This record gives sequence, C-alpha cells and structure tokens, in this order.
Amino acid sequence: MKRTLQRTSAALALSAMILSACQSGEQQQTPQQLANSADGGTAACPSQVYWGDTHLHTANSADAVFNGVRLTTEDALRFARGDQVRSTTGLDAQLSRPLDFLVVSDHAEVIGIGRRIAEGDPELISDPTIRRWHEMMNESLEQSTRAARELIVGYAQDTLPERLADPELARETIVSTWQEHLEAVERYNEPGTFTSFIGYEYTSMPTGNNLHRVVMFRDGTDVFGDTLPFPANQSQDPEDLWAYLAAYEERTGGRAMAIPHNANLSNGLMFAMTDFEGGPPTRDYAERRQRWEPIVEVTQFKGDGEAHPTLSPDDEFADFGNTGWDTANLDASAPKEPGMFAGEYAREALKRGLLLESLLGVNPFQFGMIGATDSHTALATGDEDNYFGKFVADEPNANRAASSVGAAIRGRVGWQYLAGGYAGVWAGANSRAALFDAMARREVYATTGPRMTVRLFAGWGLSEADLGADPCSLYDRAVPMGGNLAGTGEAPRFLVTALMDPEGAHLDRIQIVKGWLDADGELQERVYDVAWGDADERSIDAEGNLAPVGNTVNLETATYENSIGDPELRMVWTDPDFDPSERAFYYVRVLEIPTPRWPVYDRLRFGADIDPQTELVAQERAYSSQVWYSPEA
Amino acid sequence: MESRWRSLAREPLVHFLVAGLLLFLVLGRSDAVDSGSRTIIVDEDRIARLSANWERIWQRPPTAEELDRAIEAHVREEIYYREALRLSLDQDDIVIRRRLRSKMEFLARATAESESPDEAVLRQWLEDHAALYAPDAITSFDQVYLGEDGEADDVLRRLRQGGDPAALGAPISLPPSMADASRSEIERRFGAAFARAIDLERIGEWQGPVRSGFGRHLIRVTAHETGDPPALADVRQRVENDWRAATLAEREEQAYALLRTRYSVEVADVD
Repeated sequence: MKRTLQRTSAALALSAMILSACQSGEQQQTPQQLANSADGGTAACPSQVYWGDTHLHTANSADAVFNGVRLTTEDALRFARGDQVRSTTGLDAQLSRPLDFLVVSDHAEVIGIGRRIAEGDPELISDPTIRRWHEMMNESLEQSTRAARELIVGYAQDTLPERLADPELARETIVSTWQEHLEAVERYNEPGTFTSFIGYEYTSMPTGNNLHRVVMFRDGTDVFGDTLPFPANQSQDPEDLWAYLAAYEERTGGRAMAIPHNANLSNGLMFAMTDFEGGPPTRDYAERRQRWEPIVEVTQFKGDGEAHPTLSPDDEFADFGNTGWDTANLDASAPKEPGMFAGEYAREALKRGLLLESLLGVNPFQFGMIGATDSHTALATGDEDNYFGKFVADEPNANRAASSVGAAIRGRVGWQYLAGGYAGVWAGANSRAALFDAMARREVYATTGPRMTVRLFAGWGLSEADLGADPCSLYDRAVPMGGNLAGTGEAPRFLVTALMDPEGAHLDRIQIVKGWLDADGELQERVYDVAWGDADERSIDAEGNLAPVGNTVNLETATYENSIGDPELRMVWTDPDFDPSERAFYYVRVLEIPTPRWPVYDRLRFGADIDPQTELVAQERAYSSQVWYSPEA
Repeated sequence: MESRWRSLAREPLVHFLVAGLLLFLVLGRSDAVDSGSRTIIVDEDRIARLSANWERIWQRPPTAEELDRAIEAHVREEIYYREALRLSLDQDDIVIRRRLRSKMEFLARATAESESPDEAVLRQWLEDHAALYAPDAITSFDQVYLGEDGEADDVLRRLRQGGDPAALGAPISLPPSMADASRSEIERRFGAAFARAIDLERIGEWQGPVRSGFGRHLIRVTAHETGDPPALADVRQRVENDWRAATLAEREEQAYALLRTRYSVEVADVD
C-alpha cells in the first residue's frame, strides 16, 4: 500500500517554517508585522480566514457608468474597508463588517471610456450615437439604462460606433484612467489591515456567450510598472490572455492569475471539452489552463454555478440560485439548450476534468472555488439585509424585486439576482503575497454571503482526536482544501469543520460532494450528508435522505431564529465507496438553516411589491475547494 | 504679517476664488461670448487651438484645407450656440444644467486634487480625528464554551475553585484562549455581541455567561490595554487618504455654501 500527499512547494516550505519557528521559540509576530515582513507572511501557518471580493465594478467600467454609477475606485475601496459611502442614488451605504481585501476589477475594454462619454468629452460626442448616449446618461436613470443596453448589445454583436474603436483615442483613455486607478489601489493597500489588489476584468463574450475572467496580480506598482490591461477586443480567446500573463511574468518577475466566472451564462463554452477554436484539448492546453486559472468564481449576483438540477437530479439542493440564469446566455441573445449545462456548472466541469486528466495526463479543470459579488455599484455588499443591487437602478427601492430595469431588459427579473458571494481565503497574513499564494494553491472557499468558517483536511493519518487539534499541526500529515492525494491502498480520511457565521444563521448540515471516474470510464457523482444539526432528533431515513432542518423564517418581520440547526458541525469521514483505483475529487458543501432573501427585507422596508413567483427563503451555503485523489502510478 | 498671508494662502475658499479668477481671466480673454453680439472673431489663439485639437485626434497637423474646414465648423457651432442662447434653449435642458453643475464642482475640487499636504496639515488632521486612528484595544482572555444554552452556575463555581477550563466546556472549534487580541479580531471570531459583553472591570476573574452567535461562554480576561495613539509615520498613508477625501468634499461644500449665501431661496409649504 502506498500513499502520498502532494503539496505545492509553498505548502512544504510552510510546514518547514512552522517547525523551525517552534524549535527556535521565536516571539510570535503580530498579523501586522507578518504582513509587512519581507515575504508578506506567506510562510506563516494559514490560521485565519480572510474575507473579500475579487469582482467589483466602478464608473471606470463602461456598462456600470452607462447604468448610472458615478462612484470611483477610491469610493469602492473606502466602502470595502468599512467606511460609510454615499451611493450613486444618494443613500448612505456601509458594511456591518469590513472586508479584508478587494479587487476592483473594471472591464478592461477601453477602461474609462464610459466616464468620458458621461462627462461629454468633445472627441467622443462628435459621433451622433455617442452624443445621444451622452444625453441619455445625463437625463435619467431609465434613459441611461437604455443607453447601457444599446452599448452591451453593440459590444456583443460587434456593432459599436467606429469612434469607440479609434486606437489613439482608446489608448489615451486607457492610459490616463489606468494610471488614476493604480494610484488609488496603491494608496489604499494597507498590509495587515486591508489588501487592495491590482486587477481588471477581461470581457470575452463571443456572440453573447460569457467567457469573462477577472485578472488579478500579486504585485504592487513597483513590479507592475506601466503594464496595461489586456482587453478582449484584442482577442476573445482566453489562451491569448494566458500568453499575455506569461509575458507579463517573464518581463516583470511578477505573478498573475485569471478567474473565470459566470460559466452559467456561457452556453456551454466555459468548460467545453474543446479549446476556443473547437479543437481537441492538448496536454499543453490543460497545463496552461491549470497554471493560469487555479480558481473559479462559482457564485455571485448573476446566479450560482455549483450545480444544476438537470445535471444532478439526485441532489435535492442543486437548484440554488439557478432561476432565471439557466434560460439563456449573458445578453439573452441565445437560449440555453439542454446539452449546454455540462459545460457550465462547476461540479460537472470538475468531473470532466477527471476524464480529461485520464486522457491527457493533466487536469485542465483542477480549480478551487470562490464567490464574489460582480456588483456594478462600486459597493461590495454580500448580505441579504444590505443588498445594494447589481446596477444603480437596483439600489434599494420598492420596485427592484418585481421589475428591475436593468434585469428585465435581459429577460430576467430583479428578485432572481442573488445578494452576494464572497471569497474566504485561508492565509497566514493579510497581504497581497499571502492572499494571492493561498488562491494559487486553492486554499480558498466560496460563500453566498455569510462568513462561516470552513476547514477541510484530507490524509491517512487523521483521527477523531484531530478535531480538537490546532489545525496548524495538521499540515505535515494532511492536505488542506485545494490539495492532492495519491495512493493505492486504504481510503483517506477527511476532517471537516464548519463554524457558523457568528453574526449569522445556524448550520443545517455538512455534505461531502464526490465526483469520480469509474472503472468503465463513466463519470459519477454522489452527495453524502456527513454531519447535521439537531442530530438527537434527525437521522437518515431508509432512502438515504436526511430530514429537512425546518424553517423559522418570519416573512412579516424578515427574521429567523437560531432555534434549529447547530452553531458548529464537524466530523472525520471516510468514503464508504472508496475505490483506490478510481480518480476522484471531494469537496464540502455547508448549508445554513433557511433565512429570508433580500426581497423580504425590501417588502418590510419599502412596502415593495413582490411577485408571487418570488423565492423568499433560501439556505445559504459555502463550497470548499476540492481535494483530488488519484491512484498512484 | 507674513504668517497671516500664509494662512490665508491655505484657505480653501481663497484657492477656489483664485482658481475662479484665473479661469475667468483665461476664458474671458479668448472665449468670452457675448450672445448679443453678431461679430465672430476667429483670432490666432483660436486657430492655434483648433489646429492642436485636430492634431491630438489625428496625430498630425491639419492641411490648410482641413484647417479651413475646422474653422468653418467652429464658426457654424458658434453661430448655432449664440442663436440657441438667444432662444433660451439652454434654460431647461437637463443635460446642459447637469454638465454646468459638474464643471462648477470640478472647479471647486481641482485645487485639492493636485495638492500635496505637508506634515503639519496631516499632524493636525491626525490630532483632530484621533478616534479614527485610535488603536484597537488589546485583550487577552480565556473562554469556556457552554453550548447553546448550557448551564453556567456549576461550571462557573468549578472554574473559580481552580477547575481545568479545557475539561469543563462543550467542544467547539474556537480558541480556548486569545493572547493580545485586538477588538476587531475578537469580533471576527466571536461576533460583536461577545466583544461588547466582556466586562473589563473584573480582570482575572471568571465571569459570565456571555452570549456570542454560537451560544454561551464563561470568560476570564487576563490582560487589557488600550494602547497609545499612533505616530503620524505609522498611519501616514491612511491619514493622507482620509484628509484628501474629506478635503475634496469640504471644498466642494464650502464653494457651494459661498454661492448659496448670495441667493435667497423660498420653498413653498407642501402638506
């Protein structure tokens, strides 16, 4: 029997550092000192989960400013770190708890151009279409939203005014906007307290099918220099983005990654079994995809992309955040066909990855999972009781749930938007280096907003006694979420803990989702309930189902009671169906007890009209990154 | 006398007025439009600017013919502009109104945007807003988790008699002790209610039960320090960011307030 834990070199260096620190009996450094140290705290034990948003738009994004937002990079950073900010529609906005990090990720495509149009730059409004847009943008929110619609359709269908394609005008706009943006990002980066990353969104969208990536950098401007964003109007093929990132690293010695998102709006393209050109994927393609895209954003305002009921009919919780998002591609220009789902949802992509790995020797879809907002109001809100909307027209008001302007024109209804999505990152310090490295080794997880603490370790040396152990002591015996196991013998053990958000709801259950490639070459999946609340009253029935946790939501008062479920769930689990010869992945899904969705708060606060179809209650959740098992050759 | 001038030179209102005056002089020289006049003068400055503008867009100087066309376009725009003013078309156009307003606001902000504040200004700001930069209080404590509604009295008695905290609580993945934890770290791990409920009067004693999002706890605070106010060097970037953001907003407000004093506004009662 053989078994190995495969870790990235960073994780190995990590356990060496922890050991040496213990042996020398050094004074423990404070989080501030670690973050400001030469290595940015990358060698410290990942003992803390840091919360942040990697996906946020300001007035520098054309679609955001066309939809009315006037807040800047600086406003977005101040809001995320906890300050009160005046929203575009004049409301005071604040997070109940600050975030630890933020990537302001404006659309790279002629970044800043929308602001110049809004401000009436003479060089732009000489074009009659642009002039009309300028007037609409400054007339009213409704007109502005209409202009935004024209812009998005024009971009998706390649019919934008020629003036917008003028290379000199574009260059001048990009350079000046980007400089101003970088300056704010640098000024607000405060290691140990709040991390502000350089980043943007690469907006590849062939005929309206979403292939977007958020691009983020580990570096400050000292390394980043005068690098400019890579826009999708140079190439819609993500392989060209990877080539650009490789050239960036080569030239500067810096580090970068790309984060795909809204695969659910790609009409099957995001996790296709072919490359962008439709050719068969090669080992080289798989290596580069894994290298540049270590994590995927699986949940955000525009729906949840973990699982879909048509792909996972036996998973009773696979329908979260799908309504309205499983009907068409991003701009609703092409309807969804049944065969497309498999290239869109993360769980199925992870399964496809196992198959491709068996064929190519490398898994192109070996990615971890995070959540983000994709807010276009410059306000990174993740809580149901503080939802500030996708676009400015959806900032809190009585009409947004039933007939949101921004949503309706895309064939979707306001209430179908989710209120949040954040990334939880296990790191040893709050610095660019430590957070980026944690994302690169996939020691991250997604939540739909609540800040529950989720840990996952897997290995052969784990026992019940380790549930009470210091997690930092587990790294030399097990891999954390995001890691790899290889073996030929007995089943590995999984140590899982999920602690509720101390300001949030109790937990219903912990599930482990397993996907595997069976001996016949078929892809399989199974969801195991491994720990649950109220265990003295609930058990698994003859059909293998766990009774529902119940529902304490009061729809009149928009409240719930933590009288059901448990504050913490934890256990050490062994896969009862483990076959050492089969490739597999395992990840943790944690469900909260039911809580009110944002339209319920709207009804209480504004007397909002709520359509009878509206989903009012949901079980919010977290998705850990995976541990992959492969048979040792 | 000199110091009075210097302090005057730091007044945002003075900046605003000086900037306004400069703008008036610059614009007044070349751009003054008397919408009543039917004479349009295209002077050398104007031609130079039209030419430069053309060059900025096309990256080469205009030919004579192209420049003639630019001048003709300018004259045409000027004529339409004056006629539109005569017809009062600018009066109720919301786009024009907003644009003029944002130009005025930009003027008010412009001086602060380029200004680099000196040490004295920032030190003063830090002093005036000490609470914003006050370090988090640092607390060390032990805690015993009782569960969601665990019985406290018995456990409390045993703890006070020297019982082992590790043997007395309910299991949970929370640290049994935190050393030198900032208030924000305590809130992050245990929630705001817990951080608020710690009674600092009773350092060294087991106290509680105290409620967190997870349930009830007994706690023993072993040390608590409020910490010294930071030196400017430690928080300089943050102070400068805050000073800049606040100063921009304030100048805009002051400039508006100055204009506002010149108007008397009557708002009808609505019931």
